[in-house]
Formats: sequence, C-alpha cells, structure tokens
Amino acid sequence: MSQAFSATAIRRAVLSMAHAGATVHIACAFSLVEILAVLYRRHLRYPDNDPDGPLRDYLILSKGHGVMAQYACLREKGWIPQEALDRYFGDGTPLKGLSDAHVPGCEVTAGSLGHGLPVGVGMALAAKLAGTGQMCYAIVGDGEMNEGTMWEALLFAAHRRLDNLVVIVDENGFQAMGRTAEVMGLGSLRDKFSAFGFEAVDVDGHDEAALDGALDALRANRDGRPKALVARTVKGKGVSFMEDDNRWHYTRLNPETYAAAMAELEQA
Amino acid sequence: MRNAFSDAIVAAAKADPKVLLLTGDHGYALFDEFRRTCPDQFVNCGVAEQNMVGVAAGLAKAGLKPIVYGLACFVPIRTLEQIKLDVCYEELPVVFIGDGAGLVYSSLGSSHQSAEDIAALRAVPNIDILSPCDVHEMRYTLAHALRFERPVYVRMGKSDVGTVHAGPCAAPLGELLPVRTGGGTRDTAFIATGSMVRSAMDLAGSLEDNPVWSAPSIKPLHAGQIEALAREFDQLVVLEEHNRMGGLGGAVAEIVAGMRGPRAQVLRLGVDDRFSRFNGSWDYLRREHGIDPDALRARVLQSRSEGR
Repeated sequence: MSQAFSATAIRRAVLSMAHAGATVHIACAFSLVEILAVLYRRHLRYPDNDPDGPLRDYLILSKGHGVMAQYACLREKGWIPQEALDRYFGDGTPLKGLSDAHVPGCEVTAGSLGHGLPVGVGMALAAKLAGTGQMCYAIVGDGEMNEGTMWEALLFAAHRRLDNLVVIVDENGFQAMGRTAEVMGLGSLRDKFSAFGFEAVDVDGHDEAALDGALDALRANRDGRPKALVARTVKGKGVSFMEDDNRWHYTRLNPETYAAAMAELEQA
Repeated sequence: MRNAFSDAIVAAAKADPKVLLLTGDHGYALFDEFRRTCPDQFVNCGVAEQNMVGVAAGLAKAGLKPIVYGLACFVPIRTLEQIKLDVCYEELPVVFIGDGAGLVYSSLGSSHQSAEDIAALRAVPNIDILSPCDVHEMRYTLAHALRFERPVYVRMGKSDVGTVHAGPCAAPLGELLPVRTGGGTRDTAFIATGSMVRSAMDLAGSLEDNPVWSAPSIKPLHAGQIEALAREFDQLVVLEEHNRMGGLGGAVAEIVAGMRGPRAQVLRLGVDDRFSRFNGSWDYLRREHGIDPDALRARVLQSRSEGR
C-alpha cells in the first residue's frame, strides 16, 4: 500500500490539474509538496476529520500560489471530490487559482500576498487565549517576505509569545520576476527570524525526514518563542526541466511537456 | 457621544469574554475605562494597522468577537484590502471603528483628514456602513454592530456638535430617521449624516421650515424610503462631512437616478473633491470646503435659482 500523502502522488495530481485546466503556477506548487505532505501526514490534527472543527490545527497557505498541491491533499482528506480536480479551472467550478477560504480545508484567501500570516497569527492568538493547545502552521513564500505585513505579523507574534505558531518559509529563491536575491534581497531569513524573537531553523525542504524532525522539535519547545522553519526548496522540484526555472511560474503545459513531466513522475 | 461609545464597548466586553478590543496604538484616554475593567480583552497591536485587521480576522474565524479601533484614515483607508479580503469575503463578525472621520483632525493635515472612507467601503460587499450623528444614534448603531453578526464599520466623526434626537432611536437598520418634521413645505427635504445632521437642522430652520432626515446607516440604505421622498419633494439636499462623490449623496443619487417619472433633483453637499489647502481649525476647513452654515445656505439658494 502506498504511503499517505505521497509527494510523488501529489505532484502527479498537480500536473493533472494543471494540464486539465491549462493553468500556471506549477513550479510554485512543486516546491512545497514535501512540506504539505509531512504536515498532513503526521502533524495536522483534525478531530473527526472535520476541516472546520473548533479544535483543529490551523494550516495557513499564505503563499496562495501553491494551492494546487494543497487541493491534492484536500482530496486525499476527502474534503473535495476528485471530480473537482478533474474539472479544475472550468467555468463555474469552485476551485480557483489561488487559495480561497470558501474551500473546505483552506483557512485563508491568499495570493494577494502578506494576508495569510497575519490571519494565522490571529488564529494562533485565539488558541492561546482559549488554552486549547491548537497549533498554527503558516506556509509563506520567500518572495512574500517582501510584504510589510509579514514583518508586522512577526513582531506581533513574538510580542504575544505565540509559541504555537510555526512559520514555514518555502524558500525556493524565486519570486514572480526573478530570483529573490536580484529582485529584493532577503539575506539570511533564519537570522532575520531569530532577530525578530523566533526560534528559527533551516532544513532541506524536500527531505521529509528532516522536515518531520524539525517540526517535532519546534512543536515540543514551548518556550514562548514563535517558531520559524526555513525550508530550502527548489522551484519546480520533481521535474527536471522545471527545476530552478522561473518560466514554470507562468508556462502552461502542452501535450509534449505534460507527457514528459508525467513520465518523470511515473519513474519517481 | 464618545462616552456612549466607551460605555457600550465596556458593557459588551464585561458581558462576553469573547469580545476583544484591538487598537493600533490609538485611543489614549478613550479606552481608560476599558483597560481598567477588561485588561485581558484589550490588545494594543502597535503601529501596525494592516496586521491588526488580519489578526482580527483570525480571531473572528476562531470564534472571538473583535472590535478594531483606528483613525478613519487608517481604519478603513490604510487597511482597505485587509477589510475586503480577510474580513468581508468571509463575512466575519468584526466591528471596525473609524474615529475622527471627515475633517476632525483638521490641523494634522491631509494624512489624518478622511473624506473618502464611505466611498471606499461602499463598493466592498458584506459590510454595513454606519454613521451616527449623536449619542442616541451612537447607541443605536453600536447596538447593531455589537451583535457581531457580520462586518460593520462605525464612522465616528465630529462628536460635539450637539444632541439631535430627543430620545433613543428604534428603527430597522437602513431607514432614515426623521429629526425635523418641517412646516408642510414640499419643495426641499434634507437628508444628512454624522456631524452634518445638526447643520441640516439649522439650515432647514433658516429656509422654509423644511423637514430633515438623518441617515445613521449609509449601507444598507432603505431605497423605498428615499424613492418616496423623491416623489414627494422637488429637491433632496444631502449633506455629509465626506467627499461629495461616493458617500451618502452618491448613494441617494444612485437610487433616484433609477426612478421613472417625476422625481426630485438631488443636491449633494459635502467636502470638495480636493485636498485641504491650508492649516486650520475644523470650522476653518468647513469654510474652505464650503460646508459651513453660510456657504451651505448659499449653495441651496443658488441651486433653486438655477432650477427655476
């Protein structure tokens, strides 16, 4: 029996969706596949498998551009039907090109960047005030860290001692127009998070065991500091001709590229 | 009026521990009582208004009842996208208080004057826009807002122009409230909101004893009531301490423009569509924008001479 939330299966689902809907943002989704897989497989708690349950952990996809990978996970959770994936991007269908809070399992409407993290900070604060022990995981993009609201949210989270908040940066080194180092250099995000009062670690964002271990350690250390996991990732990870190539932020699949990419994923 | 605001939120917070007050480091004296009686429900979010609105959305999603306080130039203007996307899209129960709306912060200049807040929010779905004129309307609008059923914006403008209503207000939200019956003349009726209700009453008394309605709610707005007034009167004069575009006057004009047959002319009186030129008091800026009593009277009289 194949493993739950298999990274390869998620990538295949993303590729199928992108092919069915002739959509962009494939590379944005591929970079955070292992992060989502590990979170859904072992860390996120949804009592009674209810995406709206009052005691659920919160998963904030602040980087809404990666939403296709989340849709694949939500289908595996049973919250959206396979048919919705098959008809992705059709007129009059519910799944949009960016994260949308009206979809079961999507907590925020994001993709206008810099929105999800502040909302997640509010949810983490609510859990703290109520003493419920709920965790809040917020997946953000490194390009998204250009937004001023992200830094406002970090200040607030540290000040309110939200150690139930884990900010996971999908550090794929790209933003819309090019490499982050060329567009708006961020320097060491780990150092910046540390300077803002976070417990910050960095790991290979495609190494599931490393992600798993880091998330366990961060969650266990309830010392008042909010947590940051800087996940070093590769944009377009999993398909050789998409990796580290920002054109796959925008490029749509044609029959040849779809077949070639799927063939690589079949062998993975 | 401001005491009524403080009393209402203190009472709401005492009655329900889920009520939280968020501020972007404003409200120094205004929240003394709240901080004294409900310190655990007071969250100073620092000078970071956009994050504050996002945090409020997250709190509301988790079942809490946030009141977000800021100056109108920041809440809703600086935070408009957060209000739209984080709060209104999901129709979350967040109450926004925009203080000092209009020309109240006169001498602080264009950064703090806010004559665009109603227009900006009117085009955002799922949010009620309320604009109380006195202590009674403050209690009436907050009674609605503090039920925490959906997003509500309460516009707090100039608050010391005097009491308008004789007693508590009671009407379905969206209705105009009669504040001056007038002497039976059918030429002009006044509709005003916020600080300008008092001005409208003075103006009506100095003309032909015209009736005046107050609009404590700009959205929703009872279209049928406005249409009836537009059929009954030759002219509707709308007054607000807001840009003449997109506010209450715009809302009334949109309704009247959709009518067939004889209908009133709509005269919109408000802040000019330009930034204030000079430093000055609230009274001075009202003159600069032509919404002081003398200028208002002259504009009404001129519109009539042009209409005949």
